[in-house]
This record gives sequence, structure tokens and C-alpha cells, in this order.
Amino acid sequence: MGHHWDFASVLANSDALLVGAAGTLRIFAICLVLGLGLGLPVGLARYARAKWAYLPATAFVEFFRNTPVLVQILWFYFALPILLPFETSPLAAASLGISLNSAAFSAEIYRGGIQSIEPGQWDGARALGMSFSQAMRRIILPQAIKRMLPALTNRAIEIFKMSTLASTVAYVELLQQGKLIASLNFNPIEAYTTVAAIFFAFLWPLVQATYLLERRMRRDE
Amino acid sequence: MYRFDFTPVIANAGLLAEGLLNTLKVTGTAVVCGVALGLGLALLRLSRRRFLAWPAGFVIELFRTTPPLVQLFWFFFALPLLAGIEMTPFMAAAVTFSIQSAAFFAEVFRGGIVSIERGQWDGALAIGMSRRQALRRVVLPQAVKRMIPAFMERSIELMKTTTLVATISYADLLFEANEISEKSFRPLETFTVVALIYFVVIFAFSLAARRLERRLALSGETTAH
Repeated sequence: MGHHWDFASVLANSDALLVGAAGTLRIFAICLVLGLGLGLPVGLARYARAKWAYLPATAFVEFFRNTPVLVQILWFYFALPILLPFETSPLAAASLGISLNSAAFSAEIYRGGIQSIEPGQWDGARALGMSFSQAMRRIILPQAIKRMLPALTNRAIEIFKMSTLASTVAYVELLQQGKLIASLNFNPIEAYTTVAAIFFAFLWPLVQATYLLERRMRRDE
Repeated sequence: MYRFDFTPVIANAGLLAEGLLNTLKVTGTAVVCGVALGLGLALLRLSRRRFLAWPAGFVIELFRTTPPLVQLFWFFFALPLLAGIEMTPFMAAAVTFSIQSAAFFAEVFRGGIVSIERGQWDGALAIGMSRRQALRRVVLPQAVKRMIPAFMERSIELMKTTTLVATISYADLLFEANEISEKSFRPLETFTVVALIYFVVIFAFSLAARRLERRLALSGETTAH
């Protein structure tokens, strides 16, 4: 156990870590917007009664929820370019995999949230002469979104953690830079400990905020 | 138009079967160790003694809030140097996913135990049981039944997460897919088939879990969310 800790060699490479952090934040932002954004129409389609909307949405959700996200990323990286006339970049492949996976999970959050709203709200909106889409947009969604907030922030945290999978297709993010530093300086202990600490520092406040949100929601209900 | 050719994938079906078996092996090991460790962590976290509750809480939060791939790299590349031991990819995977799932299972256990009404504790204590007896004989048996849906969901999540072991070259299903696709230059066919294998296996588990959940809901004993 007589390891001589040497974080100086990691600190010397802090610019590499900064580049990595920027990469992590970039892919996180892309997947957050696409994943939670795409999830809403899919969730609405899952809620729909029309078969042409319900069936494809359900197939999409079941497929992406029941396959590992790493397999999806590798499929988009290695398999998809064969069908397309162009290559997929590491960023594109990883974002596609993580975004579609998150869309499938968030679709279920949206659907659950919408279903949790009492029928009386629909009836009231209808009685005032609103159409289905008006009632959804003005009455149901604003209330449902509030209930979904804790589950959605949990999804955001998952997306942040999933972003490390982009390193498997050599996208430059924090873990990838950690690997680089470890192999250049032969200091995997310090390099990976630092990367873990950075992730913890980013995510811990987010997780605590989610707990707080959950507790406040429970009190409000 | 691209010409599909599945023969290299079919020729390597044996490798894929072996890979799937290894995936199940890692998942099984991690579930068994994770549940045992998770129960311990949950009880520590629920303890009234701060010096027990606080470190358990820290371990749980640490493993829930760092990416599993970072944990895996740490246990595979850093721990062996630090502890002066040899780590095979299987050992690193088993250790990482056991601890990681223990952190999640601990929260499932804690939620289940906390969900049991106070009256159950009071009744058990009133008929002369110690706290430990009350926990073992009265509270846990009821709590475990309520936790089954969350427990199954976690195990399915875990199975998907085990694909990460391919990155430290443990021969799981995904790793074999990589090998076959590199050798045969048929990534489209290989990765599509492997994605479908994962889907079939995981979807079957999901359906079984949903069925069980519905049956438990009928008997009114569940904290399904």
C-alpha cells in the first residue's frame, strides 16, 4: 500500500482535462436537449389512441429501453455508416445513441406524468371549449411537467453519466482525457481518481437538488 | 445497394453464445453480491449511530453519482497498482458492478424498510422482540415483497450496464461482437444481430418483471412507482 501519490503529473495536464470537460459538457447539452425534446412527441404518441401513432412509438420505446446504450452507440458508429453515404463522427454516433436512449426513457416519464392528471382537468378544459391540443398545451402539460420534474432531473443525471460512453468511440471527453493522461504519465491511480472526483463534484450538487425537489413535491401534493 | 451477408455472424454463433454466457455470469455475480452488500449498506445507513450511517451514506452516494465506466477503469487500472494485486477483467468487473449495484440495491432496501408502517415495529417490540428480531422476522419479510419490482428493474439495468466490461476486454457478448466485426469486416450485420440478441434477452426479463409486478399489485403488496 506504500503508493507515492503524485497528483502533480495530473495537474500538469489540467488543460487536457479542461478540453475533456468542455467535450463532456457539449455532448451532455446535445443529448439533454435532443433526448428530453424527442421524448415528448414519443410520449404523446404512446398516449395516443390511434394505432399508427401508438404502435411505432411503443416499438421505439421498447427497443431503446431494452438494449444497452453502449451497443446502440457502437451500432451508430460502426454499422450505420455502411447504410449511409457518409461516416458518422464519434460525437454524432455517441449523441445519437445517448439521445435516442434518453428519448425512450423520458417518453415514459412524459406519458406517466400526463396520465397522472385527473380526468376532471380534461373535462373542465373541454367544457370551456378548448380543443384536445389546446387542453394539452394550456392545462395538462403545465401541471404534468411540474410532477415530472424530479424524474426528468434524474434522467439528466443519467445522461451526464452516460456521456462517458462516448470515450469508447474515442470522442474527446473527460474520461478519454483521463485515459490519455494515464497512458502518457503512467499514473492511472491519480488520473482516474481525479476524473472520478470531477464527475462527483459536478453531479453531487445536482443529485442533492433532485432530492430537495422530490421532498418539496411530496409536501406540495 | 448494400448486400447483406450474415454468414460470418452465423459461423461465429458459438462465440456469441459464449459471450452471452459471460454476460450472464457477470450479471449474476453482481446481483448476488450486490444484494448481500446492499442489505448491509442499507442497514448501516438506517443505523442511528452516525459513525455507521455517515460512511455508508457516502459510499452509496459516491457509487450512485459517478459514471460506471469511470468506476470500472478505476478498479481495473488503478486499484491493482494501489493494492499490489493482479486483477483479471472478470474480477474488476465483478467488484465494480457488485459495489455499484450494492449502492443502488441499498436504496431499494432502505425504501422498502422505511415504507413499512410504524405500527409493525411497535407491535413487534410490544410482544418482546429486540429491534434486530423485529427487523428480521416482521419488517424485512414484508419489505422484501414490496421491493421486488424495484429490485427487478435494477437487475435489468445492471445487465445493460455490464456491456461496459467489453472496454476492459472481458469476453462478453459485446466484446465478441467487436471481434467478429473486425475479423469479418461485417460490422452492420454483426452489431445488428448482437443488438437483437440483447433486445430479446432483456425484453424477456422485462416482460417477466412486469408480469410479476402486476401480480404483486393485485395482492396489494407493492411500492411500484
